[in-house]
Order: sequence, then C-alpha cells, then structure tokens
Amino acid sequence: MKADKAGVLTGSHVLNGNQACAEGALAAGCRFLGLYPIVPSIEVSERFLARAPEVGATFIQMEDEISALAAVLGASWTGKKSMTVTSGPGLSLMMEHLGLGIMLETPCVIADIQSVGPGLGLPTHAAQGDMMQARWGSHGDYEIVALAPSSPQEMFDFTIKAFNFSERYRIPVAIMSDAYVAQLEETVVIPPADQINIETRRYYEGAKDSYLPFKRDKDFVPPMVDIGQGYRFHVTGLTHDDRGYPIMFEECQEYNVHPLMWKVRNAVDKIVEVQETNTDDAEVVVISYGATSRAVLKAIKQARESGIKAGGLKLVTVWPFPEKRVTELAKKAKAIVVPEMNFGQIVLEVERNGYGEANIFFLPHGDKGAEYSEDILAAIKRASQTSEAKSGIIEIS
Amino acid sequence: MNSIIDALDKGIEMAGIARKRISVPSDIPFDPDAVKTLGVDYFQIPRGRAIAFGTGLKLGNPDLKVIPVAGDLMTLGGNHFVHGSRRNMELLVICVNNFVYKNIGGKPAPFTQAVFSPYSTFEEPFNFPHLGNSCGAVYTARWTALHAEELAASIAEALNKRGLSMIEVLAPGPNYYRSIDGIESELLQFYFNNSVVKNNEDPRNVAITPDEKIAVGKFTDKERPTFIDSYNVQHSKMLGDKFTPHGSPPKVEKLGGKNG
Repeated sequence: MKADKAGVLTGSHVLNGNQACAEGALAAGCRFLGLYPIVPSIEVSERFLARAPEVGATFIQMEDEISALAAVLGASWTGKKSMTVTSGPGLSLMMEHLGLGIMLETPCVIADIQSVGPGLGLPTHAAQGDMMQARWGSHGDYEIVALAPSSPQEMFDFTIKAFNFSERYRIPVAIMSDAYVAQLEETVVIPPADQINIETRRYYEGAKDSYLPFKRDKDFVPPMVDIGQGYRFHVTGLTHDDRGYPIMFEECQEYNVHPLMWKVRNAVDKIVEVQETNTDDAEVVVISYGATSRAVLKAIKQARESGIKAGGLKLVTVWPFPEKRVTELAKKAKAIVVPEMNFGQIVLEVERNGYGEANIFFLPHGDKGAEYSEDILAAIKRASQTSEAKSGIIEIS
Repeated sequence: MNSIIDALDKGIEMAGIARKRISVPSDIPFDPDAVKTLGVDYFQIPRGRAIAFGTGLKLGNPDLKVIPVAGDLMTLGGNHFVHGSRRNMELLVICVNNFVYKNIGGKPAPFTQAVFSPYSTFEEPFNFPHLGNSCGAVYTARWTALHAEELAASIAEALNKRGLSMIEVLAPGPNYYRSIDGIESELLQFYFNNSVVKNNEDPRNVAITPDEKIAVGKFTDKERPTFIDSYNVQHSKMLGDKFTPHGSPPKVEKLGGKNG
C-alpha cells in the first residue's frame, strides 16, 4: 500500500534529525503520539505537534514515560499507528510496557534519542549507550527490531521502516538514534506519497464470534482487530492461549512465548539490512552504526588512499543483528574495528559472531560522532599492522 | 470479584451504552469467562497502569467508553489517577480497595492477619474520593461489593458523566485469597455491616479510619470540561479552520469501520 498523502510533506527540506523523524512518522501514517518530554528528543514532539492538526493526528503529554508508552499501546489497539519518543532515562521507564507490547503483540514505534548515561549522565551529549537495553532491558525473553539512523534523511526513511516492521510483525520497534544525528541539520528529500511503501496491519476477517486474538498465521503473526468493533475480546499480559486467556502452566509459556521469538527469527532475512562499503577485498572491516558510521566512511577513504584495504559494514538494523554477514566478514578479513559511542556494547555481538576468526578492535569514543574519523583511521592502521591472532576484544584507548 | 462483574453488567445495561463501545483495561485478573459475559473488550495489563493504558484507548477512539479497573490501593499508578483527574480524561475508574494495609473497625482485614503480615500494619490508606475530588474528578463514590444495586446505579450514572469518574469498591480482591476458607464472604459482610450511607458528604470527611463506620455513597458530582473538550477549544482558538475537532460527541452506535 502507498502512503496517505495527508501526512507526506513531499519536497526537499532542511530538517534536523528529530524533525525528520516526526515527518517520517506522519508519512508512515502515525496518528498518535504519547510522550513525556526529554532532552534531546524535543523537536520530534514539537514538529509532530505542529503538524498534527492538519493531518488529524492526536497527541498527549503524559505524566511520565511509563504512562506515555502505556497510552501508545492503548491507542494502537484502536487501530491508530502510534509512537513515543524519548531518551535514555525515559527508555528505562518504558521497559515495563515494552514487555507488555511484546506480550500483547502491539505494533508501536519507540524513538530513542540517545544521550549519555548511566543515571542522569550528560543529557545533551550524544551516545550509543542504550543499544543493549533496547535488546535486553525488559524482563523475560523477547526479540525486537531496532534501527540506527545516521542522518536526518535516514531518520525519515528509517522511521517509515520502523512502522512497517511494527505493523508487519506486531511488535514494538525501536529507532536508536542519538543527540548528534537528532540535532544535525541536513537536506531531507521527502518523496511523493505514491512512492512511499506502507505495510498495513493485517486484520482478522472471519466471523466475530470465532475471533481468537492470538491465533497465529503461518508466519506466527496473529491477525489483529481494533477495539470497539464488537469482537468482545479478552487479552492479557500473562502467559496466554489463543483466546487470550491466562494459562499458568510451563507448557503454555512454550506455546505462547516461543513463537514471539520465531516470528522475528524466522524473518531475519527479510528484516536485517546492512550497507557495505569496499568489503569485497577488505582486510580491515569497520563495523559501525548511527552517527559513528558517518566518520567511518571518511576514515575508510583515507585508509584506502594510504594503501590499506579497508571496508565498512554499517548496520541499518542493529537488532536483529546481522549475524551471518558478520561471521562471513570475520572469516575473510584480518581484523575488524568497531567504533562506538559507548564503552563496548555492539562490539560484544561482533565478537560473538566473529568466532575468533579475526582480531577485533574496539574504539570507544565520546559524542564527537561524525568528527571522529582520525581516531578511526588510526585504529584501522593499527588493526592492519597486527598480524598475530589474539582472542578477545582489543580495546584501543 | 464476580460481584463487580455483576455490578458492571447491570450498570452498563442501565446506562444504555452498546457493549461493543466499552473497553475495560484492568490490572486485576478477572475470571475470563465472567468477563466474556460482559461483552466488552478487556485488557489485563501490568499493575497500576490501567488509567494510562485507558487514556490511549480513549484518545485513539473517543467514541469508546473506557472503564479502567485499578487495585492495590493505587500505590502503583497513583500518579496516573492524579493526572487523569487533573486532565478530566473521560474514564470511569473502578478502584477496588481490599485494605491490604489497614485494620477496619478494630478487626484485622484478612490481609493483615498473621499469614500475610505477622505484626499487622500501621499505614493509612488513601481517602480516594477526596484525592479524586481535589484533583478534579467530576464524580466520586464509594460502595462495598454488597451494595449491589447502589453500585450498579453509580456505575450507570458515572458512565454518562463527561470526565473522570471514580468509584471505590470495598472488596476482597485477588483470587488467591480465596484459598483461605470463608474469608471472602465474611469480609464482604463485614464491610457492608460497618458502612453507613452518607450521600453528598464532603469528600474531605470520608476517610476510612479504624474507629468510625465507613462512609459510602456518592460524594462528588460536578461538571468540568474534559481533556478532549479543552484540547478542541485550544486548538480551534489557535488554528481556526485548519483544525478538525477531535472526537465528536459520543454516538449511540458506531457503524462501519474496517471491522464492520
């Protein structure tokens, strides 16, 4: 299906990442924003609020991030595409309802504009410190989809992708941005509505009396209905059967929760997306995402100019992690460099999937984002000169 | 708990509202088959979040009537009640109060008996009608689960109020307390026998204390613009024709829609 014209501001605009995220949401058909304001995510809500009346969207500033995501889940069940936006401290509060969203299989989008933690951290500085929280932060087992945009254009594009994944698989999807990309102003090209592909929610089409809220299709995704239409359904955040009735047995945990993994794991090839630069002959591969990947492009170019066969793998989807591709690259390359705006998160996934095939260098860095190419270049040089195989992660300090 | 389902059933009938328009987000697990007999859409969600979840339901589809059910003395989620009342979000909050914290009239509630709390308890419960009233709720009432007719009538009245209504129901709560023989019926009767109807009493005076009879009745019934009213007024003022008011006044029946 194509996008609804009402929300699409076709044309070329100078927007910051946050504004582009709001435009992406409106273009994707998002019509409900529930939020609690937090730096550095404010322009997402400002932009959404300013544009909401003309597209018939609703918004509410809730009393905290717990209720913000709760309201988003509620609104989603009325058939409205819904989202919230926050930063690290807010994401921490949202973990309760992230889990509920997983269990009730409720489509929604959470934009996390990462700043420096833990605790109160540095609220205006960029970081990539929530990457593992998005994956593991809520209790129990789940799979999640998370995207990492590196520019305002990608904030627009990936927000649409996020809504498409959330509707397709009935899961909360996270946009893992950061203060750097969020505040960066660049030209964003918004295509005409008929060139934007929109994934629509799959609705149950059978008789009202025989509707089972969690009866799965072949791909493990149950078709949905909107509330208020006479289906008279019962759903629960407890472990449940197809009827949505709580069943307090271990067998039901297997029946209910394992498919929540499968519906994402079985679709990994359809979800996972990476962008590669010069990886065909690369001896040193830089694996990065978000703001950091901007600096990586420059560093790779400079490394090539100085005779090092460097390449880059940029993660579009951080979760699910592109496991197969990283394993392939680790077998081919001599070394892998992972720069991150944290003290070591996604590098753990790289190590896990590298199986000891390549030396793995980790470059932690602060909020310089795209202005960090010199350090990345130095890391590439060092990686290219290390010949003996070492186990574990080699941290560059 | 079935006494609350029964009261909801009667109250919805008396209010004359189509059942498919009603959704109940609850942090208390009801018997699913009993819920099915109500003919509403039902969500069991984490403790304390019914009002927040219900706010999203109401804003997502303003034609709905949303009845959040909250337990545990609103310790979890008390802030959602405070702010829901302040906004006057159109919700009927059923607060099921089972006195986990309090002795009543000198007799320990089951939850403070030695099996649960060896030294009883010393905390005061909220005065919910006063809390709701002072935060801006347009309707507050309290009944015991045995005041079946009064409770149903209150539910019917509150469902047709515009804004946040709160009905406190004194009832032993979670299912697992049933395993202790006789507690549920005995306690229900105890609450009922120790209550006195004081309609229109100033909500400041209806706190539940160990020494006095429990005041039940309707304590608040007033008018205030709802959240959606204020939302529409403000945006119309600022944006004129560019703004389409959100959530037209509730219709009797919602027809069509993608679910037929």
